[in-house]
Amino acid sequence: MIKEMINNLYSYRQLLKSNVQKEIRGKYKGSFLGVLWSFVNPLLMTLVYAIVFPLILKNTEPHYVTYLVIGILPWNYFTTVISQGTTTILGNGGILKKVYFPREIFPISVNLSGVINFLISCLVMCLFLIFSGIGFSWLIIFFPLIVLTQFIIQQAIIFITSAIDVYVRDSEYIINFFVNMLFYATPILYSADMFAGSAVEWLIKINPMAVIINAYRDIFYYQTMPDIQMLLIILVVASILFYLGLRIFRKLEKGFAEEL
Amino acid sequence: MAQKKENNNNQKTKYAIIVENVSKSFKLVYDKPFTLKERLVFWNKKTTRVGKHEVLKGVSLKIKPGETVALIGVNGSGKSTLLKLMTKIIYPTSGKIIINGKLTSLLELGAGFHPDFTGRENIYFNASIFGLTAAEIDKRVGDIIEFSELGSFIDNPVRTYSSGMYMRLAFSVAINVDAEILLIDEILAVGDQHFQEKCFAKLQELKKSGKTIVIVSHALSSIKDLCDRAVWIYNGEIRMDGKTDKVVEEYLKVCG
Repeated sequence: MIKEMINNLYSYRQLLKSNVQKEIRGKYKGSFLGVLWSFVNPLLMTLVYAIVFPLILKNTEPHYVTYLVIGILPWNYFTTVISQGTTTILGNGGILKKVYFPREIFPISVNLSGVINFLISCLVMCLFLIFSGIGFSWLIIFFPLIVLTQFIIQQAIIFITSAIDVYVRDSEYIINFFVNMLFYATPILYSADMFAGSAVEWLIKINPMAVIINAYRDIFYYQTMPDIQMLLIILVVASILFYLGLRIFRKLEKGFAEEL
Repeated sequence: MAQKKENNNNQKTKYAIIVENVSKSFKLVYDKPFTLKERLVFWNKKTTRVGKHEVLKGVSLKIKPGETVALIGVNGSGKSTLLKLMTKIIYPTSGKIIINGKLTSLLELGAGFHPDFTGRENIYFNASIFGLTAAEIDKRVGDIIEFSELGSFIDNPVRTYSSGMYMRLAFSVAINVDAEILLIDEILAVGDQHFQEKCFAKLQELKKSGKTIVIVSHALSSIKDLCDRAVWIYNGEIRMDGKTDKVVEEYLKVCG
Protein backbone atom coordinates (compact mmCIF):
# COMPACT_ATOMS: atom_id res chain seq x y z
CA MET A 1 0.00 0.00 0.00
CA ILE A 2 2.84 2.37 0.85
CA LYS A 3 4.57 1.34 -2.35
CA GLU A 4 1.47 2.07 -4.35
CA MET A 5 1.30 5.52 -2.78
CA ILE A 6 4.92 6.25 -3.62
CA ASN A 7 4.41 5.11 -7.20
CA ASN A 8 1.36 7.34 -7.46
CA LEU A 9 3.23 10.30 -6.10
CA TYR A 10 6.10 9.70 -8.48
CA SER A 11 4.00 9.49 -11.61
CA TYR A 12 1.88 12.46 -10.56
CA ARG A 13 4.83 14.49 -9.27
CA GLN A 14 4.02 17.43 -11.51
CA LEU A 15 0.51 17.65 -10.06
CA LEU A 16 1.91 17.42 -6.56
CA LYS A 17 4.38 20.17 -7.32
CA SER A 18 1.87 22.55 -8.83
CA ASN A 19 -0.54 21.83 -6.01
CA VAL A 20 2.03 22.70 -3.39
CA GLN A 21 2.87 25.88 -5.29
CA LYS A 22 -0.78 26.78 -5.54
CA GLU A 23 -1.18 26.17 -1.84
CA ILE A 24 1.74 28.40 -0.91
CA ARG A 25 1.09 31.18 -3.38
CA GLY A 26 -2.67 30.99 -3.22
CA LYS A 27 -2.81 31.30 0.55
CA TYR A 28 -1.89 34.94 0.68
CA LYS A 29 -3.14 35.79 -2.77
CA GLY A 30 -4.28 39.38 -3.05
CA SER A 31 -2.63 40.48 0.19
CA PHE A 32 0.02 43.17 0.14
CA LEU A 33 2.65 41.32 2.11
CA GLY A 34 2.15 37.98 0.36
CA VAL A 35 4.38 35.19 1.59
CA LEU A 36 5.85 37.61 4.14
CA TRP A 37 2.79 36.76 6.23
CA SER A 38 4.48 33.46 7.01
CA PHE A 39 6.93 35.51 9.03
CA VAL A 40 4.68 38.25 10.27
CA ASN A 41 1.90 36.02 11.55
CA PRO A 42 3.92 33.98 14.06
CA LEU A 43 5.81 37.13 15.03
CA LEU A 44 2.59 38.91 15.92
CA MET A 45 1.43 35.88 17.85
CA THR A 46 4.71 35.81 19.72
CA LEU A 47 4.41 39.52 20.44
CA VAL A 48 0.97 39.11 21.99
CA TYR A 49 2.05 36.23 24.20
CA ALA A 50 5.30 37.92 25.12
CA ILE A 51 3.37 40.96 26.35
CA VAL A 52 0.47 39.18 28.03
CA PHE A 53 1.95 36.06 29.49
CA PRO A 54 4.66 37.41 31.76
CA LEU A 55 1.90 39.43 33.44
CA ILE A 56 -0.01 36.28 34.35
CA LEU A 57 2.79 33.87 35.01
CA LYS A 58 6.01 34.44 36.76
CA ASN A 59 8.34 33.97 33.88
CA THR A 60 11.54 32.13 34.58
CA GLU A 61 13.04 31.85 31.13
CA PRO A 62 15.88 34.30 30.50
CA HIS A 63 15.14 34.76 26.81
CA TYR A 64 11.40 34.39 26.93
CA VAL A 65 10.69 35.73 23.43
CA THR A 66 13.14 33.34 21.81
CA TYR A 67 11.72 30.59 23.98
CA LEU A 68 8.23 31.46 22.71
CA VAL A 69 9.22 31.62 19.04
CA ILE A 70 10.72 28.14 19.16
CA GLY A 71 7.43 26.79 20.50
CA ILE A 72 5.06 28.81 18.39
CA LEU A 73 6.54 28.15 14.96
CA PRO A 74 6.19 24.35 15.04
CA TRP A 75 2.81 24.70 16.70
CA ASN A 76 1.68 27.03 13.93
CA TYR A 77 2.81 24.47 11.38
CA PHE A 78 0.80 21.83 13.23
CA THR A 79 -2.46 23.78 13.46
CA THR A 80 -2.27 25.07 9.90
CA VAL A 81 -1.80 21.59 8.50
CA ILE A 82 -4.49 20.00 10.66
CA SER A 83 -7.13 22.61 9.94
CA GLN A 84 -6.38 22.96 6.22
CA GLY A 85 -5.80 19.25 5.81
CA THR A 86 -9.12 18.30 7.32
CA THR A 87 -11.08 20.30 4.77
CA THR A 88 -8.87 19.68 1.77
CA ILE A 89 -10.91 16.89 0.18
CA LEU A 90 -14.16 18.74 0.73
CA GLY A 91 -12.70 21.95 -0.66
CA ASN A 92 -11.47 20.26 -3.81
CA GLY A 93 -14.71 18.38 -4.36
CA GLY A 94 -15.37 19.97 -7.73
CA ILE A 95 -12.30 18.50 -9.35
CA LEU A 96 -12.46 15.17 -7.50
CA LYS A 97 -15.82 14.47 -9.06
CA LYS A 98 -14.64 14.98 -12.59
CA VAL A 99 -11.15 13.63 -13.02
CA TYR A 100 -9.30 10.66 -11.63
CA PHE A 101 -5.93 11.09 -10.01
CA PRO A 102 -4.56 9.72 -6.75
CA ARG A 103 -6.65 11.38 -4.09
CA GLU A 104 -3.90 11.35 -1.48
CA ILE A 105 -2.22 14.13 -3.46
CA PHE A 106 -4.40 16.67 -1.65
CA PRO A 107 -3.64 15.86 2.01
CA ILE A 108 0.02 15.30 1.17
CA SER A 109 0.40 18.62 -0.58
CA VAL A 110 -1.16 20.42 2.39
CA ASN A 111 1.46 18.91 4.64
CA LEU A 112 4.27 19.59 2.17
CA SER A 113 3.35 23.21 1.68
CA GLY A 114 3.08 23.47 5.45
CA VAL A 115 6.56 22.12 6.02
CA ILE A 116 7.99 24.47 3.42
CA ASN A 117 6.31 27.40 5.12
CA PHE A 118 7.61 26.19 8.46
CA LEU A 119 11.18 25.89 7.22
CA ILE A 120 11.00 29.39 5.77
CA SER A 121 9.67 30.74 9.05
CA CYS A 122 12.55 29.05 10.86
CA LEU A 123 14.71 31.86 9.48
CA VAL A 124 12.97 34.09 12.01
CA MET A 125 13.88 31.65 14.73
CA CYS A 126 17.51 31.75 13.61
CA LEU A 127 17.50 35.54 13.87
CA PHE A 128 16.20 35.34 17.41
CA LEU A 129 18.82 32.76 18.33
CA ILE A 130 21.56 34.94 16.95
CA PHE A 131 20.43 38.24 18.46
CA SER A 132 19.65 36.80 21.87
CA GLY A 133 23.20 35.49 21.99
CA ILE A 134 22.14 31.86 22.35
CA GLY A 135 23.64 30.83 19.03
CA PHE A 136 23.71 27.32 17.62
CA SER A 137 25.16 24.01 18.69
CA TRP A 138 25.95 20.76 16.88
CA LEU A 139 22.66 19.40 18.24
CA ILE A 140 21.02 21.03 15.22
CA ILE A 141 21.69 17.75 13.40
CA PHE A 142 18.64 16.31 15.18
CA PHE A 143 16.41 18.92 13.55
CA PRO A 144 15.55 16.77 10.48
CA LEU A 145 14.55 13.86 12.74
CA ILE A 146 12.16 16.05 14.73
CA VAL A 147 10.65 17.61 11.61
CA LEU A 148 10.20 14.16 10.08
CA THR A 149 8.42 12.90 13.18
CA GLN A 150 6.11 15.88 13.18
CA PHE A 151 5.48 15.49 9.45
CA ILE A 152 4.45 11.85 9.78
CA ILE A 153 2.15 12.44 12.74
CA GLN A 154 0.39 15.22 10.88
CA GLN A 155 0.10 13.19 7.71
CA ALA A 156 -1.45 10.31 9.63
CA ILE A 157 -3.96 12.62 11.28
CA ILE A 158 -5.07 14.40 8.12
CA PHE A 159 -5.34 11.20 6.10
CA ILE A 160 -8.00 10.20 8.58
CA THR A 161 -9.67 13.55 9.21
CA SER A 162 -9.79 14.66 5.57
CA ALA A 163 -11.54 11.43 4.60
CA ILE A 164 -13.98 11.46 7.51
CA ASP A 165 -14.83 15.11 6.97
CA VAL A 166 -16.39 14.19 3.64
CA TYR A 167 -18.91 11.96 5.39
CA VAL A 168 -19.41 13.82 8.66
CA ARG A 169 -18.94 17.50 8.11
CA ASP A 170 -18.82 18.33 11.77
CA SER A 171 -15.38 16.79 12.03
CA GLU A 172 -13.65 20.01 11.16
CA TYR A 173 -15.24 21.84 14.10
CA ILE A 174 -14.63 19.00 16.51
CA ILE A 175 -11.03 18.78 15.42
CA ASN A 176 -10.51 22.52 15.70
CA PHE A 177 -11.76 22.29 19.24
CA PHE A 178 -9.32 19.51 20.09
CA VAL A 179 -6.46 21.40 18.52
CA ASN A 180 -7.33 24.44 20.61
CA MET A 181 -7.39 22.32 23.72
CA LEU A 182 -4.14 20.65 22.83
CA PHE A 183 -2.55 24.08 22.72
CA TYR A 184 -2.89 24.31 26.49
CA ALA A 185 -1.68 20.76 27.02
CA THR A 186 1.48 21.55 25.12
CA PRO A 187 4.31 23.51 26.70
CA ILE A 188 4.36 26.40 24.26
CA LEU A 189 3.79 29.38 26.52
CA TYR A 190 5.10 27.73 29.63
CA SER A 191 7.74 25.19 30.44
CA ALA A 192 6.87 21.57 31.01
CA ASP A 193 8.81 21.63 34.29
CA MET A 194 6.10 23.76 35.81
CA PHE A 195 3.87 20.71 35.95
CA ALA A 196 6.46 18.36 37.38
CA GLY A 197 4.85 16.33 40.13
CA SER A 198 1.33 17.61 39.46
CA ALA A 199 -1.73 15.60 38.46
CA VAL A 200 -1.61 16.61 34.81
CA GLU A 201 2.04 15.77 34.28
CA TRP A 202 1.18 12.53 32.47
CA LEU A 203 -0.89 14.52 29.96
CA ILE A 204 2.20 16.35 28.82
CA LYS A 205 4.27 13.20 28.85
CA ILE A 206 2.01 11.33 26.43
CA ASN A 207 1.23 14.34 24.25
CA PRO A 208 3.34 13.81 21.14
CA MET A 209 3.30 17.50 20.29
CA ALA A 210 4.73 18.23 23.73
CA VAL A 211 7.57 15.80 23.09
CA ILE A 212 8.22 17.35 19.70
CA ILE A 213 8.19 20.92 20.94
CA ASN A 214 10.40 19.99 23.88
CA ALA A 215 12.80 18.43 21.43
CA TYR A 216 12.95 21.61 19.35
CA ARG A 217 13.61 23.56 22.55
CA ASP A 218 16.30 21.12 23.64
CA ILE A 219 18.32 21.44 20.48
CA PHE A 220 17.88 25.17 19.92
CA TYR A 221 17.24 26.79 23.27
CA TYR A 222 18.67 24.66 26.06
CA GLN A 223 21.20 23.05 23.74
CA THR A 224 21.03 19.75 25.52
CA MET A 225 20.49 16.29 24.18
CA PRO A 226 16.82 15.83 23.21
CA ASP A 227 14.91 12.81 24.51
CA ILE A 228 15.86 10.60 21.56
CA GLN A 229 14.26 7.51 23.02
CA MET A 230 10.89 9.19 23.37
CA LEU A 231 11.22 10.74 19.90
CA LEU A 232 11.91 7.36 18.37
CA ILE A 233 8.94 5.83 20.16
CA ILE A 234 6.75 8.56 18.77
CA LEU A 235 8.23 8.12 15.32
CA VAL A 236 7.37 4.42 15.39
CA VAL A 237 3.86 5.04 16.68
CA ALA A 238 3.41 7.78 14.09
CA SER A 239 4.52 5.44 11.32
CA ILE A 240 2.01 2.82 12.39
CA LEU A 241 -0.65 5.49 12.56
CA PHE A 242 0.42 6.68 9.12
CA TYR A 243 -0.14 3.22 7.71
CA LEU A 244 -3.52 2.93 9.40
CA GLY A 245 -4.45 6.41 8.24
CA LEU A 246 -3.61 5.52 4.67
CA ARG A 247 -5.71 2.37 4.94
CA ILE A 248 -8.68 4.32 6.24
CA PHE A 249 -8.18 6.87 3.49
CA ARG A 250 -8.06 4.13 0.84
CA LYS A 251 -11.25 2.65 2.15
CA LEU A 252 -13.15 5.91 2.36
CA GLU A 253 -11.86 7.47 -0.87
CA LYS A 254 -14.03 5.14 -2.91
CA GLY A 255 -17.10 7.04 -1.86
CA PHE A 256 -15.70 10.58 -2.21
CA ALA A 257 -17.23 11.35 -5.60
CA GLU A 258 -20.66 10.22 -4.46
CA GLU A 259 -20.64 12.00 -1.12
CA LEU A 260 -19.30 15.33 -2.29
CA MET B 1 0.30 -23.50 -11.83
CA ALA B 2 2.75 -20.90 -13.10
CA GLN B 3 1.58 -21.48 -16.64
CA LYS B 4 -1.98 -21.07 -15.64
CA LYS B 5 -1.18 -17.75 -14.08
CA GLU B 6 0.59 -16.65 -17.23
CA ASN B 7 -2.39 -17.61 -19.33
CA ASN B 8 -4.53 -15.61 -17.04
CA ASN B 9 -2.28 -12.60 -17.49
CA ASN B 10 -2.36 -12.95 -21.25
CA GLN B 11 -6.07 -13.10 -21.12
CA LYS B 12 -6.10 -9.86 -19.20
CA THR B 13 -3.68 -7.89 -21.33
CA LYS B 14 -5.46 -8.89 -24.50
CA TYR B 15 -8.11 -6.40 -23.57
CA ALA B 16 -7.79 -2.72 -22.84
CA ILE B 17 -10.89 -2.61 -20.70
CA ILE B 18 -12.59 -5.49 -18.97
CA VAL B 19 -15.86 -4.92 -17.19
CA GLU B 20 -16.87 -8.02 -15.27
CA ASN B 21 -20.42 -8.36 -14.05
CA VAL B 22 -20.48 -4.84 -12.69
CA SER B 23 -23.39 -3.48 -10.73
CA LYS B 24 -23.66 -0.03 -9.31
CA SER B 25 -26.31 1.35 -7.08
CA PHE B 26 -26.53 4.80 -5.64
CA LYS B 27 -27.97 5.60 -2.28
CA LEU B 28 -31.01 7.75 -2.55
CA VAL B 29 -31.05 9.88 0.54
CA TYR B 30 -34.16 11.97 0.83
CA ASP B 31 -32.87 14.30 3.46
CA LYS B 32 -29.23 13.86 3.88
CA PRO B 33 -28.11 13.81 7.53
CA PHE B 34 -25.04 15.92 7.10
CA THR B 35 -24.35 16.95 10.64
CA LEU B 36 -23.58 14.92 13.69
CA LYS B 37 -26.59 16.37 15.46
CA GLU B 38 -28.90 15.12 12.75
CA ARG B 39 -27.20 11.76 12.74
CA LEU B 40 -27.67 11.42 16.44
CA VAL B 41 -31.19 12.77 16.58
CA PHE B 42 -32.42 10.77 13.61
CA TRP B 43 -30.33 7.69 14.09
CA ASN B 44 -33.38 5.44 14.27
CA LYS B 45 -35.04 6.93 11.22
CA LYS B 46 -32.17 6.10 8.97
CA THR B 47 -33.82 3.13 7.33
CA THR B 48 -36.79 5.14 6.21
CA ARG B 49 -34.69 7.83 4.68
CA VAL B 50 -32.44 5.83 2.46
CA GLY B 51 -33.42 4.15 -0.75
CA LYS B 52 -31.40 2.41 -3.40
CA HIS B 53 -31.25 3.14 -7.06
CA GLU B 54 -29.62 0.50 -9.15
CA VAL B 55 -28.07 2.15 -12.17
CA LEU B 56 -26.11 -0.75 -13.61
CA LYS B 57 -27.13 -4.36 -13.28
CA GLY B 58 -24.51 -6.95 -13.97
CA VAL B 59 -22.85 -5.37 -16.98
CA SER B 60 -20.02 -7.29 -18.65
CA LEU B 61 -18.02 -5.81 -21.46
CA LYS B 62 -14.64 -6.43 -23.01
CA ILE B 63 -12.92 -3.88 -25.18
CA LYS B 64 -9.81 -4.70 -27.17
CA PRO B 65 -6.93 -2.28 -27.65
CA GLY B 66 -7.53 -0.09 -30.68
CA GLU B 67 -11.27 -0.52 -30.69
CA THR B 68 -13.55 2.49 -30.97
CA VAL B 69 -16.71 1.86 -29.05
CA ALA B 70 -19.81 3.99 -28.70
CA LEU B 71 -22.13 3.69 -25.75
CA ILE B 72 -25.63 4.67 -26.73
CA GLY B 73 -28.92 4.75 -24.92
CA VAL B 74 -31.57 7.11 -23.64
CA ASN B 75 -30.91 9.48 -20.76
CA GLY B 76 -30.59 7.78 -17.41
CA SER B 77 -29.73 4.40 -18.85
CA GLY B 78 -26.37 4.28 -17.08
CA LYS B 79 -23.92 5.16 -19.87
CA SER B 80 -22.16 7.93 -18.03
CA THR B 81 -22.06 5.90 -14.84
CA LEU B 82 -20.29 3.14 -16.70
CA LEU B 83 -17.79 5.66 -18.03
CA LYS B 84 -17.19 7.08 -14.56
CA LEU B 85 -16.61 3.59 -13.23
CA MET B 86 -14.00 3.01 -15.91
CA THR B 87 -12.11 6.15 -14.88
CA LYS B 88 -12.17 5.13 -11.20
CA ILE B 89 -13.97 8.27 -10.09
CA ILE B 90 -16.60 6.02 -8.59
CA TYR B 91 -16.33 2.35 -7.69
CA PRO B 92 -18.68 -0.54 -8.48
CA THR B 93 -20.99 -1.93 -5.82
CA SER B 94 -20.12 -5.37 -7.06
CA GLY B 95 -18.07 -6.77 -9.92
CA LYS B 96 -14.67 -5.79 -11.22
CA ILE B 97 -13.16 -3.41 -13.73
CA ILE B 98 -9.69 -3.94 -15.14
CA ILE B 99 -7.92 -1.30 -17.19
CA ASN B 100 -4.73 -2.01 -19.11
CA GLY B 101 -2.95 1.12 -20.19
CA LYS B 102 -2.85 4.82 -19.47
CA LEU B 103 -6.30 6.26 -19.41
CA THR B 104 -7.59 9.77 -19.92
CA SER B 105 -11.15 10.85 -19.55
CA LEU B 106 -13.01 13.83 -20.87
CA LEU B 107 -16.09 13.67 -18.75
CA GLU B 108 -16.34 17.35 -18.35
CA LEU B 109 -14.21 19.81 -20.23
CA GLY B 110 -12.08 22.14 -18.25
CA ALA B 111 -12.49 20.34 -14.95
CA GLY B 112 -9.86 21.85 -12.72
CA PHE B 113 -9.22 25.00 -14.69
CA HIS B 114 -8.23 27.79 -12.40
CA PRO B 115 -9.97 30.98 -13.52
CA ASP B 116 -7.20 33.34 -12.40
CA PHE B 117 -4.42 31.45 -14.12
CA THR B 118 -3.58 32.13 -17.74
CA GLY B 119 -4.41 29.66 -20.46
CA ARG B 120 -0.81 28.56 -20.58
CA GLU B 121 -0.61 27.96 -16.81
CA ASN B 122 -3.85 26.04 -16.99
CA ILE B 123 -2.42 23.81 -19.70
CA TYR B 124 0.32 22.84 -17.27
CA PHE B 125 -2.03 22.37 -14.37
CA ASN B 126 -4.64 20.45 -16.31
CA ALA B 127 -2.12 18.21 -18.04
CA SER B 128 -0.51 17.45 -14.69
CA ILE B 129 -3.89 16.21 -13.44
CA PHE B 130 -3.71 13.69 -16.26
CA GLY B 131 -0.36 12.58 -14.88
CA LEU B 132 2.12 14.33 -17.18
CA THR B 133 5.45 15.68 -16.00
CA ALA B 134 6.69 19.19 -16.72
CA ALA B 135 9.07 17.97 -19.42
CA GLU B 136 6.31 16.05 -21.16
CA ILE B 137 4.05 19.06 -21.08
CA ASP B 138 6.83 21.29 -22.43
CA LYS B 139 7.00 19.08 -25.49
CA ARG B 140 3.27 19.29 -26.12
CA VAL B 141 2.44 22.83 -25.16
CA GLY B 142 3.05 24.12 -28.70
CA ASP B 143 0.72 21.57 -30.21
CA ILE B 144 -1.93 22.26 -27.62
CA ILE B 145 -1.90 26.00 -28.20
CA GLU B 146 -1.93 25.55 -31.94
CA PHE B 147 -4.82 23.13 -31.80
CA SER B 148 -6.85 25.41 -29.54
CA GLU B 149 -6.43 28.33 -32.01
CA LEU B 150 -6.32 30.72 -29.09
CA GLY B 151 -3.29 32.59 -30.40
CA SER B 152 -2.22 35.45 -28.15
CA PHE B 153 -5.16 34.91 -25.79
CA ILE B 154 -3.25 31.99 -24.32
CA ASP B 155 -1.48 34.34 -21.91
CA ASN B 156 -4.69 35.90 -20.62
CA PRO B 157 -6.47 34.59 -17.52
CA VAL B 158 -9.00 31.91 -18.33
CA ARG B 159 -11.81 33.86 -16.67
CA THR B 160 -11.66 36.36 -19.53
CA TYR B 161 -12.34 33.64 -22.11
CA SER B 162 -15.62 33.11 -23.89
CA SER B 163 -17.21 29.72 -23.27
CA GLY B 164 -16.17 28.59 -26.73
CA MET B 165 -12.54 29.48 -26.11
CA TYR B 166 -12.67 27.73 -22.77
CA MET B 167 -13.97 24.54 -24.32
CA ARG B 168 -11.45 24.66 -27.12
CA LEU B 169 -8.56 24.94 -24.70
CA ALA B 170 -9.89 22.13 -22.52
CA PHE B 171 -10.40 19.82 -25.46
CA SER B 172 -6.95 20.58 -26.84
CA VAL B 173 -5.30 19.65 -23.57
CA ALA B 174 -7.22 16.44 -23.12
CA ILE B 175 -6.71 15.26 -26.66
CA ASN B 176 -2.97 15.86 -26.58
CA VAL B 177 -2.27 13.96 -23.40
CA ASP B 178 -1.30 10.88 -25.34
CA ALA B 179 -3.18 8.28 -23.37
CA GLU B 180 -3.73 4.80 -24.70
CA ILE B 181 -7.36 4.79 -23.68
CA LEU B 182 -9.63 7.76 -24.15
CA LEU B 183 -13.03 8.02 -22.53
CA ILE B 184 -15.25 10.76 -23.86
CA ASP B 185 -18.63 11.83 -22.56
CA GLU B 186 -20.81 13.79 -24.93
CA ILE B 187 -18.40 16.41 -26.03
CA LEU B 188 -18.41 16.12 -29.78
CA ALA B 189 -20.40 19.32 -29.69
CA VAL B 190 -17.46 21.57 -28.87
CA GLY B 191 -17.22 25.00 -30.43
CA ASP B 192 -18.34 26.03 -33.89
CA GLN B 193 -18.71 23.92 -37.01
CA HIS B 194 -15.09 24.39 -37.96
CA PHE B 195 -13.72 23.33 -34.58
CA GLN B 196 -16.11 20.39 -34.36
CA GLU B 197 -14.82 19.09 -37.65
CA LYS B 198 -11.30 19.54 -36.42
CA CYS B 199 -12.02 17.57 -33.24
CA PHE B 200 -13.64 14.89 -35.26
CA ALA B 201 -10.65 14.66 -37.56
CA LYS B 202 -8.38 14.47 -34.53
CA LEU B 203 -10.40 11.61 -33.12
CA GLN B 204 -10.15 9.80 -36.45
CA GLU B 205 -6.41 10.32 -36.35
CA LEU B 206 -6.18 8.96 -32.79
CA LYS B 207 -8.24 5.99 -33.87
CA LYS B 208 -5.86 5.29 -36.74
CA SER B 209 -2.90 5.47 -34.40
CA GLY B 210 -4.35 2.59 -32.44
CA LYS B 211 -5.87 4.27 -29.41
CA THR B 212 -8.78 2.72 -27.64
CA ILE B 213 -11.69 5.14 -27.57
CA VAL B 214 -14.97 4.85 -25.71
CA ILE B 215 -17.55 7.53 -26.46
CA VAL B 216 -20.91 8.29 -24.93
CA SER B 217 -22.92 10.26 -27.39
CA HIS B 218 -26.33 11.01 -28.83
CA ALA B 219 -24.89 12.27 -32.10
CA LEU B 220 -25.65 9.06 -33.94
CA SER B 221 -24.41 10.15 -37.34
CA SER B 222 -20.94 11.02 -36.14
CA ILE B 223 -20.81 7.83 -34.11
CA LYS B 224 -21.52 5.85 -37.25
CA ASP B 225 -18.55 7.47 -38.95
CA LEU B 226 -16.17 7.05 -36.06
CA CYS B 227 -16.97 3.86 -34.20
CA ASP B 228 -16.67 0.24 -35.27
CA ARG B 229 -18.70 -1.05 -32.43
CA ALA B 230 -21.65 0.18 -30.48
CA VAL B 231 -23.09 -0.95 -27.19
CA TRP B 232 -26.67 -0.11 -26.46
CA ILE B 233 -27.37 0.25 -22.77
CA TYR B 234 -30.95 0.11 -21.69
CA ASN B 235 -32.04 0.39 -18.07
CA GLY B 236 -28.66 -0.54 -16.71
CA GLU B 237 -28.21 -3.60 -18.87
CA ILE B 238 -26.58 -4.22 -22.21
CA ARG B 239 -29.37 -4.63 -24.71
CA MET B 240 -27.27 -5.00 -27.82
CA ASP B 241 -23.61 -5.11 -28.68
CA GLY B 242 -22.24 -5.25 -32.19
CA LYS B 243 -21.49 -3.35 -35.40
CA THR B 244 -22.41 0.30 -35.06
CA ASP B 245 -24.78 0.38 -38.06
CA LYS B 246 -26.85 -2.51 -36.83
CA VAL B 247 -27.05 -1.38 -33.24
CA VAL B 248 -27.95 2.18 -34.21
CA GLU B 249 -30.58 0.93 -36.63
CA GLU B 250 -32.17 -1.24 -33.97
CA TYR B 251 -31.89 1.55 -31.41
CA LEU B 252 -33.68 3.98 -33.70
CA LYS B 253 -36.46 1.49 -34.29
CA VAL B 254 -37.19 1.31 -30.60
CA CYS B 255 -36.32 4.73 -29.34
CA GLY B 256 -36.55 6.90 -32.45
